[in-house]
Amino acid sequence: MLLGVDVGGTFTDAVLALDGRLITAKAPTTPADQSEGVLAAIQAALEKAGGDARDIREFSHGMTVATNALLEGHGARTAFVATEGFTDIIALGRQSRPELYRLCAARPAPLTPHEGRFGAPERMTPDGPLRELTDEAAAQLAAALAAYEPEAVAVALLHAYRHPEHELAVARALRRELPDAHVSLSHQVVGTFREFERASTTEVDAALSPLLAGYLGRLVARCEEAGVPEPAIMQSNGGLIDLESAAGHAAWTVLSGPAGGAAGAAYVARAADTRNALCFDMGGTSCDVCVVDDGAVQEQSAGTIADRPLALPMVAVHTVGAGGGSIAWRDPGGALRVGPRSAGADPGPACYGRGGTEPAVTDANLLLGYLAPDAPLAGGVELDLDAAERAIATLAGQLDMETRACAEGIIRVANAEMVRALRVVTVERGIDPRRYALLAFGGAGGLHAAAIASELGISEIVCPRASGVLAALGLVVSPRRRDVQRSVFLGGDALTAEAIAEVADGLGEQARGELGEATEDSELRATYELRYRGQAFELAVGADLHADPAQLREAFESLHEERYGYRDPEQELELVTLRVSATLPGVEVSLSEADEPREPERGEREATLDGERITLSTLRGLVPAGIEIEGPCVVELPESTLLVPPGWTGEVDATGTIHVRS
Amino acid sequence: MDPVELQVLTGALHAICDEMGAVLIRSAHSANIKERRDASTALFTPDGEMVMQAEHIPVHLGAMPAAVASVLEESHAPGRSWILNDPYRGGTHLPDITVITPVFAGDELIAFAANRAHHADVGGPTPGSMPADSTTLADEGVVIEPRVLDDDAIAEISRQMRRPDQRRADLRAQLAAGRVGALRLTELYERVGAEALTEAYREVLDYAERRTRACIRDLGGPDGIERTAEDVLEAREGDLPIRLRARVCAETLTLDFTGTADQHEGNLNCPLAVTRSACYFAIRVLTDPDIPANAGAYRSVEVIAPEGSLLNARSPAAVVGGNVETSSRVADVVLKAFGHALGQGTMNNVTLGDEEIVYYETIGGGQGACSDADGPSGVHVAMSNTLNTPVEALELEFPMRMVEYSLRRGSGGDGRHRGGDGVIREIEALAPLHYSLITERRRHAPPGADGGSDGAPGRNLLDGDELPPKAIGELAPGQRLRIETPGGGGYGKPSSSEAR
Repeated sequence: MLLGVDVGGTFTDAVLALDGRLITAKAPTTPADQSEGVLAAIQAALEKAGGDARDIREFSHGMTVATNALLEGHGARTAFVATEGFTDIIALGRQSRPELYRLCAARPAPLTPHEGRFGAPERMTPDGPLRELTDEAAAQLAAALAAYEPEAVAVALLHAYRHPEHELAVARALRRELPDAHVSLSHQVVGTFREFERASTTEVDAALSPLLAGYLGRLVARCEEAGVPEPAIMQSNGGLIDLESAAGHAAWTVLSGPAGGAAGAAYVARAADTRNALCFDMGGTSCDVCVVDDGAVQEQSAGTIADRPLALPMVAVHTVGAGGGSIAWRDPGGALRVGPRSAGADPGPACYGRGGTEPAVTDANLLLGYLAPDAPLAGGVELDLDAAERAIATLAGQLDMETRACAEGIIRVANAEMVRALRVVTVERGIDPRRYALLAFGGAGGLHAAAIASELGISEIVCPRASGVLAALGLVVSPRRRDVQRSVFLGGDALTAEAIAEVADGLGEQARGELGEATEDSELRATYELRYRGQAFELAVGADLHADPAQLREAFESLHEERYGYRDPEQELELVTLRVSATLPGVEVSLSEADEPREPERGEREATLDGERITLSTLRGLVPAGIEIEGPCVVELPESTLLVPPGWTGEVDATGTIHVRS
Repeated sequence: MDPVELQVLTGALHAICDEMGAVLIRSAHSANIKERRDASTALFTPDGEMVMQAEHIPVHLGAMPAAVASVLEESHAPGRSWILNDPYRGGTHLPDITVITPVFAGDELIAFAANRAHHADVGGPTPGSMPADSTTLADEGVVIEPRVLDDDAIAEISRQMRRPDQRRADLRAQLAAGRVGALRLTELYERVGAEALTEAYREVLDYAERRTRACIRDLGGPDGIERTAEDVLEAREGDLPIRLRARVCAETLTLDFTGTADQHEGNLNCPLAVTRSACYFAIRVLTDPDIPANAGAYRSVEVIAPEGSLLNARSPAAVVGGNVETSSRVADVVLKAFGHALGQGTMNNVTLGDEEIVYYETIGGGQGACSDADGPSGVHVAMSNTLNTPVEALELEFPMRMVEYSLRRGSGGDGRHRGGDGVIREIEALAPLHYSLITERRRHAPPGADGGSDGAPGRNLLDGDELPPKAIGELAPGQRLRIETPGGGGYGKPSSSEAR
């Protein structure tokens, strides 16, 4: 029996995979200590399955402890060590201001205040030491740090990606002076050049690791008590890592939650035989977008979370600030706007009946007849149609529009915002959305999918049946994985097959070692970050562990041509960073449900679409394989709703996934 | 047009500008464009009115329309793009090269797509083409009058500049961005039709005008206001005054710079387009940055700068410092007239290089405090918002070593809200290098407001000896150039307990 548990904002979801069946359960998320909700969800799933905790073979876990701490900007008491003269690099950032015209808008403050920053009397250059760090100086530095009484220390010295000796010397001195403090070294946490991004990531790692270790300690204690095995933890890169490693490196798990969702989406896409998909997860306050290429989630070498850079590989999830709770309003120029303000879950849209009076996207979906007024949303929220109508009528009055036209306007503007964001996301990643299917999930994804697909020229929508627990499912099927990377700057005559193999073998051995188990079975993959000499930007190319330069050049140039429209065959190629991933494949799980789906409940409902009053047919429940769907229609799944406009038709495949095409 | 259609089409036009920007930034070669995003994109009506802009740095705000105006009367055909950088024919300063692509639907001209990028070098005697001592335009690099941009033109122009390979790549990136903009706009045209697109242009312009007028009305109150403000530029020959009389009357704002110094022998001169950009920046700060940046937003704004003055210079006056420095101070003087504490007021332009390599950077400083918040430290404050070059990237690529990069503590002005602190950046040469500094606020401090103290003025030091605000010279290996950037002014009288 395999177990996956994902902690979301409102609910903690558990999935048990047992003899090809999936059993799912939910429990409310417990923000003060997420482990409480995790165990409650596990117990609920076990009860439903009639299983015993001792039969759980593997337990995979995705959580938001590190993410939340980062969003709130608090961590353990942390000291920061940099090369003398450079202790402010974490405050200086890249010197840009976050907003062009709001002049006093500030960047997020470093997690370490000024008095917690210490200069190390040393200096490395690209070619080695200019000023040696003596043992005596390291000891003095450690003593000064000890007086500050930090729980954690981040060490980021210039050029340590290539010359880590001084960071290691600082770590040795700290171990003597501060044996209990968590120490994060930039060459180990990150390993790539560009000091601000490396230092900032190391600082996040140091400041959050003690918090994460505390949480995971509590979770393990609860698991032991219940007889549940120790969990593996989802990392931002979409792979699992053992609990002890995760507890020591909080920077690896900052995107743990979204990575599980992306893994689940990719899994559903593969199972539905949809190799290329734009995945669109629309919830209450935001929507997360990721791209599945040939069955695998697109990754990126680095990203930004809560306005802080993280220079580590992660699933490329882009968040757009538009969701079911986004509020519609009239701006001073008379245009209808949607968001960025959101009604959130509390009070929520007006139709939640919790005191919200401003019209939100969900109110418009309800008033137009796309959402069923008589079926509660996930979590048992009853919908109040009159409240939705009142809220929208008020806005319609301000805009001098008819109420239903205003509701349709809200949907159109919200869709336009999402389309605009999706266009930039796809252009920035160099993909043509027309070659992709739109995989829609989350509570509201299916309601907006058809309109967004039409705008982007996408002709197929895929909607999974297990929409509500996709992240937990993703955890069950994800591989184990460890990435190790280093900036090497091999160019010209220095870029040889031998030089590449030497670096790659070293990184591969390290990655396998850190993966911790069955190391000889793990698969090694290399990612080469390449550029033409002089470029300030790299392109990542996946290739063999022992790639030869000609092969890399061809792969790089063809990608460069695809992205930028040209090649520059005379320009020297430079291998900037080499990254090696060790992975152990995840398990295969069947997507069929515990209970065979029954014939869905069929009905009809009045709705408004493109200004016309129409009759929608409705299908409610778990739709079984083979059923044909013809728009205009809504499919009301247990946790999400799919709107199929006129002209779209489709069917349910053997895995229960709905496919509709225009 | 109904409020929904208006918002949907505004979004669609903005999306096209965003996409052009993404293509340009991702496909350019030089760090200026890629890492520092010194580039902008815009769409214009067939009559040359700017309908939408995605500006990554504000100095391009008001300067794009002049570029399109300079090619408006040319003969246009599908697939024919234009290039220019002449500051007196649509440009700003020579490193900013503009590419304009007419957009056709069949035979009908439906728009212009334009983009502008700051190139790392455009030839001339000084590597990096940012000389501190230029006196005419010819000293600053290759002047490109509006001409057709094709492969031959790319080859010919690039040949006259340093790193022709990089110039070629950057120009191709600009061309690619223009083509993407044209393609997307044609798609929009095919979807909505000629009539709706023309109406959309008009509506988006009127919408921006309506919103700007409403903000200007609030700024002036029921009786309107008239304010004056003055500042000085630190030219090599002495201080040059900038004088402003700002009037808000009903829904119109007049910014009158009559009384400002005449154009000078140095390079602090601005073509009128740059002066406008700076005024538009300040207006966006004073009004609502959510208003689309287009011609409609500025219909109710009048900028007056006498011809032959520093702020409306005649050809062939040198302009390279005008674009980066004078523009910041024009924005400052407008903000000052409306009661703001001022930031560092300079970009601290540093160019180092030899005939082979060129390194150009601008350095952040202190922001002026706001009436409700401290000014941020170590940021670009006005017309620029480019990223720094990482110390490690700099040392890997250039014969230089960074000695110190830190916040200049205590340089922000005191106040109820404190001004931001400036930055210290000290570089040691590892080979003989030419240096060029174009900086401001070395002799005159950034003023505080409403009882707040001034920020500390900046300093330029060569091996500990102070250099003037504008300086050029040679560095021998081992010599160190130290730039201490100004702090921002404070806002409001500090209460005694808060004073440091």
